[in-house]
Amino acid sequence: MRSRSPLALSRRQRAATHIVLLLMCLPFLMPILWMVTTSLKSNAEIFPQTDEAAITFSLDRIFPDQPQWQNYKEALETGPFVLYLRNSLMLCALNVFGAVASSALVAYGFARMRFPGKDLLFFILIATMALPRHVTMIPVFVIFKALGWYGSLLPLIVPAFLGHPFYIFLLRQFFQTIPTDLCEAGTIDGASELRIFTQIMLPLAKPALATCALFQFLTTWNDYFGPLVYINDPAYYTVAYGLQQFMGNHGSEWAQLMAVATLFTLPIIVLFFCAQKVFIQGVATTGAKG
Amino acid sequence: MLAAGTMALLLFAWMLTIPPLRRYPDREPIHFWHMWTGEWKVIVDDICTAFNESQDTYEVIPLSIPRQVADSKFLLAVAGGAPPDCMAQWNQVLPQFAESRLIMPLDEIMAPDELLAFQRQTYPIARQIADYQGRPYCVPLALDVRACYYRLDHLRKAGLLPASAPRKVATQEEAATIAALLPQSLEELTEWGSALHIYDKEGRMVRLGFLPERLRMFASVFGGGLYDRNQGRLTLNTPQNLRALSYLGDYRNAVGYDRVQRFASALAGDDGPELPFITGKISIMIDGQWRIPQMQRFAPDIPYATAPIPPPRDGGRPLAGWVHGNFMIIPVGAKNPAGAWAFIKFWTGRDDPARAADFYVRAGWLPPSPQVANTAHYRDFVREHPQFQPFIDTLSSPNIEASPPVPFQILLFDLLKRMEGSVMRGSTSPAEALEKLEQEVGEVERRRRELVHEE
Amino acid sequence: MRRDTLKGYLFISPWLAGFLLLVAVPFIDSIYLSFTHYDVISPPRWIGAANYKRLVMEDPFFWKSLAVTLKYAMIAVPLGMVFGVGLALLLNLNIRGIRFYRTVFYLPSIIPLVATCAVFTWMLNPQMGLMNSLLRLAGVEGPAWLTSQPWAFYSLVLMSLWTVGGSMIIYLAGLKDVPASLYEAAVVDGAGPWQRTIHITLPMLTPVIFFNLVMDIINAFKYFTQAYIMTEGGPEESTTFYALYLFHRSWRYLDMGYASAMAWILFLIIVAITAMLFTTHKRWVHYGR
Repeated sequence: MRSRSPLALSRRQRAATHIVLLLMCLPFLMPILWMVTTSLKSNAEIFPQTDEAAITFSLDRIFPDQPQWQNYKEALETGPFVLYLRNSLMLCALNVFGAVASSALVAYGFARMRFPGKDLLFFILIATMALPRHVTMIPVFVIFKALGWYGSLLPLIVPAFLGHPFYIFLLRQFFQTIPTDLCEAGTIDGASELRIFTQIMLPLAKPALATCALFQFLTTWNDYFGPLVYINDPAYYTVAYGLQQFMGNHGSEWAQLMAVATLFTLPIIVLFFCAQKVFIQGVATTGAKG
Repeated sequence: MLAAGTMALLLFAWMLTIPPLRRYPDREPIHFWHMWTGEWKVIVDDICTAFNESQDTYEVIPLSIPRQVADSKFLLAVAGGAPPDCMAQWNQVLPQFAESRLIMPLDEIMAPDELLAFQRQTYPIARQIADYQGRPYCVPLALDVRACYYRLDHLRKAGLLPASAPRKVATQEEAATIAALLPQSLEELTEWGSALHIYDKEGRMVRLGFLPERLRMFASVFGGGLYDRNQGRLTLNTPQNLRALSYLGDYRNAVGYDRVQRFASALAGDDGPELPFITGKISIMIDGQWRIPQMQRFAPDIPYATAPIPPPRDGGRPLAGWVHGNFMIIPVGAKNPAGAWAFIKFWTGRDDPARAADFYVRAGWLPPSPQVANTAHYRDFVREHPQFQPFIDTLSSPNIEASPPVPFQILLFDLLKRMEGSVMRGSTSPAEALEKLEQEVGEVERRRRELVHEE
Repeated sequence: MRRDTLKGYLFISPWLAGFLLLVAVPFIDSIYLSFTHYDVISPPRWIGAANYKRLVMEDPFFWKSLAVTLKYAMIAVPLGMVFGVGLALLLNLNIRGIRFYRTVFYLPSIIPLVATCAVFTWMLNPQMGLMNSLLRLAGVEGPAWLTSQPWAFYSLVLMSLWTVGGSMIIYLAGLKDVPASLYEAAVVDGAGPWQRTIHITLPMLTPVIFFNLVMDIINAFKYFTQAYIMTEGGPEESTTFYALYLFHRSWRYLDMGYASAMAWILFLIIVAITAMLFTTHKRWVHYGR
């Protein structure tokens, strides 16, 4: 038996918490469940019968009678999805690495270094997020074209290595909460700033870095406009492009649409569960520094 | 270290395995963008392949762009100085692109005899679609005409057709017999439509008999129109248009706005085998000629007939409606306009109508030029599908109308859509709505004039 | 001292390079364009402050879309924060199966936005969707969520709450940074759970609350994709958000000068709010040092 911590909950509190949480799980899970079950249904199960106009909920209609796996097959046959998947994964890998590494570096600079103009620069950094990109798209395009990058993958990769304001802001908030004495100890030992950064700060900020990595993965995974604008060779297009093409065509074929949505979501869920250790558990381990 | 190595290796493999884009690397490329997907993309790709095999100077490289972002990509590319050589479009963009000098007037590319041929051997409506301020800015690839489709089995069951009427339309005689039995006036069509609605016991709609929509479609049916080409101005708030709009609003209110909205949301799709007309959810629809090959492919056994929208008893015009189409534009700054023009000529059959007819037959497209429509192949096709005839009849009618050639066409159509929405919802009366629309459009025009004046 | 400066600039140099290369010029360019008539292709023509004047004086849609956006910011942002912090506090408890719960609440926010839009459009379908079929079970005929007023707007708010897990996880990470010794000391002082939350947890959470507040406000003012995909601004403009109207002006009607003016008005609004938060934040945000 573990000794009871003064913070532990009583049995009644525990039960109440479970009930509240379980009840709240329902609305959060239902849409996902609904997406997956719809994707396996036949049209006859989705649409009202010929003599009725609407569907009333009943429990035995939640799951399909016979899982219609051909919905997935049909959806996948609309484009070269293996090719798209590979392109997406490559772009994601590069973007995640670039964005996290550069943003962490910059965030550390803003959180821990002292230099003139820091506050102003940081405010500018935040402000750059405030202008809608619709009005800056043309000049950005012109810059990339002047650099000779139009038609190549560089416009989709290089910007990630230049730091992203959102992650910089997030990581700065985290670096600032890490007690200074930890670093001062390092300084006294004669460690360079870069070593303090990589060996003390980065391991402590792991969950925050994982959050940034996941966000960046999602952003790159979702982006179909970037590849479409800068590349004219369909062999470099991504899964998001395939999804967009599919949705333009099959907007109300709900079963196939949900199949595509499920497929589009699946890699992220897999990634999330793989990274969960760093992520949700990792959140817990850093906390134990008190 | 290991991770970095794996990543570098993967990247390297990635670069290597991308298939080469060019089939004929030593030819002049023609970059061609379009918005077709699915079965249509297959036909377009075949046209490109056929063109590449027909000559050895050019290679056309097609690229399909999702239609939601096609205009943005095109605009960025043109503004950024990297446009394609040609693009197939069907959005309401032509006058705007022409006005902004985004696309080339095509009389600059056509040889004098080609221009003459274009003017003489193109349906007048196709020339209207191409025209902006007296010059052609695009070549229509295919025209889209809309007419009424009737489910004969529904009509028969509702007692609207006599027992002696033919069961299906397979020959031109049967088509003629049925045509005489179908509604001859819009009032009659309205009654038929109401008789064909089916509701469930809670009053929800199960089958929609008929639903007229869009002022741009019905303005000319009521003898009005959105634009006067002789005077070169918009004609929005006219008694004829008001009648058309009131008709649409009254009809929609009689069925119930919310009811139709809900009914439409429960439809399985609007294309292919899920077309509500095929699944039996709609008895009479107004739709384009491209449904005929779809009917043949997905529902060969469903008996149906087509007919032009019948005019209202007084003041109406027969063979009227709005005609649009898809068309090819060549952006300013295109690197290979000559190649683009060669491709357009190939597609539309300027040099060889018989060969082009093959594509038009396969896709069920209405050709922009009577030359193709008069080829033996195309005429056989129409004979086999008598349902095509009303569309071809409508094409040469003087009563059809193309989109108004005003440089703010998209804005105009958005304003129209919003105005119709508020009339259909019943939140504005048709008269008020037209008045407000005219004010809004007047404001847009006034601002444009001011900007020109300052120049 | 100079060494420090150099080091500092070295650390932020990736962002500085990106800013100078890809951000600064387009920004300045769009300021200039906001004083011109520019249709994307022809050279921009200087018209002074006419765009701004027309926006404020003559354009009802400007005000309407601004009102829709403000309404969204005022409803969705506070709701999202309360939900996010509340969930994070619950999920910070030491009970069995907590990892499962955390995963469940986080899952919706990692579903790609386009897929989320598709799923919600499907769930909210008036005849066949889950929502109305459940209501029908209770004998209620639900509204046509996405095509009727005022439901379309609130459907979007509902959807934003579904993805609250994104900020929840950031709060949770912040909670984990609260040293356990602080709580233990508080317990010794006789503080109950409620007092501990008010006096220790929330103050220690302020750096992340500040972060989420700033980001939520910026994102609310730039709210675009969901409305673009799901409602197209309708019904009767009740979901025509500012950024959606701006998009129509710029890329649909090719009125880029006018849209640039709109963008800069939005920019100034956001920066004013952010600056206010930044100047006051030293008073209420506690960095644990």
